[in-house]
Amino acid sequence: MTRNKDSHQQAPLERLIEALVEDILAASDEDLINEAQTDDDNGATVARRAFERASRTIALRRLAANRRAARGRRVVGANIRALDPKTARGWLEEYMASHPDAARKVRGALPQRDRLSDEDVYGMLEALQKRGVLKQRTIDQGPDQR
Amino acid sequence: MQARDTGALPLTELEVKRAIAVLAPAGWLRLHKAARALCRNAHFDAEDLLQEAFERALEGSRQCSRTLDIVLFLVGVMRSIASDWRKARRRRPEMSLVSPTGSLQEVAIKVRDERLGPDEWLASAQEANCLRQTIFALFADDGVAQRMLEGIMDGIAGEELRSLTQLNQTQFESKRRLIRRRIDKAFPQERKP
Repeated sequence: MTRNKDSHQQAPLERLIEALVEDILAASDEDLINEAQTDDDNGATVARRAFERASRTIALRRLAANRRAARGRRVVGANIRALDPKTARGWLEEYMASHPDAARKVRGALPQRDRLSDEDVYGMLEALQKRGVLKQRTIDQGPDQR
Repeated sequence: MQARDTGALPLTELEVKRAIAVLAPAGWLRLHKAARALCRNAHFDAEDLLQEAFERALEGSRQCSRTLDIVLFLVGVMRSIASDWRKARRRRPEMSLVSPTGSLQEVAIKVRDERLGPDEWLASAQEANCLRQTIFALFADDGVAQRMLEGIMDGIAGEELRSLTQLNQTQFESKRRLIRRRIDKAFPQERKP
């Protein structure tokens, strides 16, 4: 009830504001520029500044969102078999180097050979992929250069 | 571009950014004048309103049709934001401010979540009444402008408003411009009408 009364009081002024906006939209470019010159109005500069601030804010928000997303992302559907064997082996070695405990267990479970076969490498990467522990990267990116 | 695409698909965020970036000086002026008008009788300022509208357009939360002029689109966005901010202020719930210079942190000010009490409503009504009288006083020398103002505030528009003033189209438009210009000059601050 109180709010309705308040809105009712505001409505005439809001209608006036709307009429002012309509007039601004109907004015010609030339009229607006003449008015600005007459009034020494720096509105164009203010508007451009607001745009630049908004652009910076959006760019920073996107950057932060991308960083958050990159931290949480994992390989889901990438086709491990599309990697060339050397790259796949690099990925696996990198994972093993950063997870020594896991590496020990895996080595223990593998057949005793000097070197893992390509099939072993692909199989292990797929297993890691299924468990969601491989970091996201594109297939043609190759080993992480960090 | 194929004809069926025009109008059907909204502008991409990049296209919106480009369209705004290449605005001519009159476009920027028009946006600022509209923002200033929308801030009259409100408690926020034109630059904040503009920034918020640009942000919503750039992040794609408001989408611009290809057939719509970018300035008209942005004025529409500002109208909607201004209306929300006014309502929020009347309800006085949580109020958020535009972050200053591209800061990532959201700035929020908590205020009392209360509707206007009788005293506050009376003060608000008196303020609105006072503003109305002040505006009319600006046109004490111009009966036609006062009739037009009355009509506008009563919600009369277009042809009906023009016939109320008994002016031809050109005279009507220049009277409407005179009203806007006089109000602009009398109340340079955003919070006044």
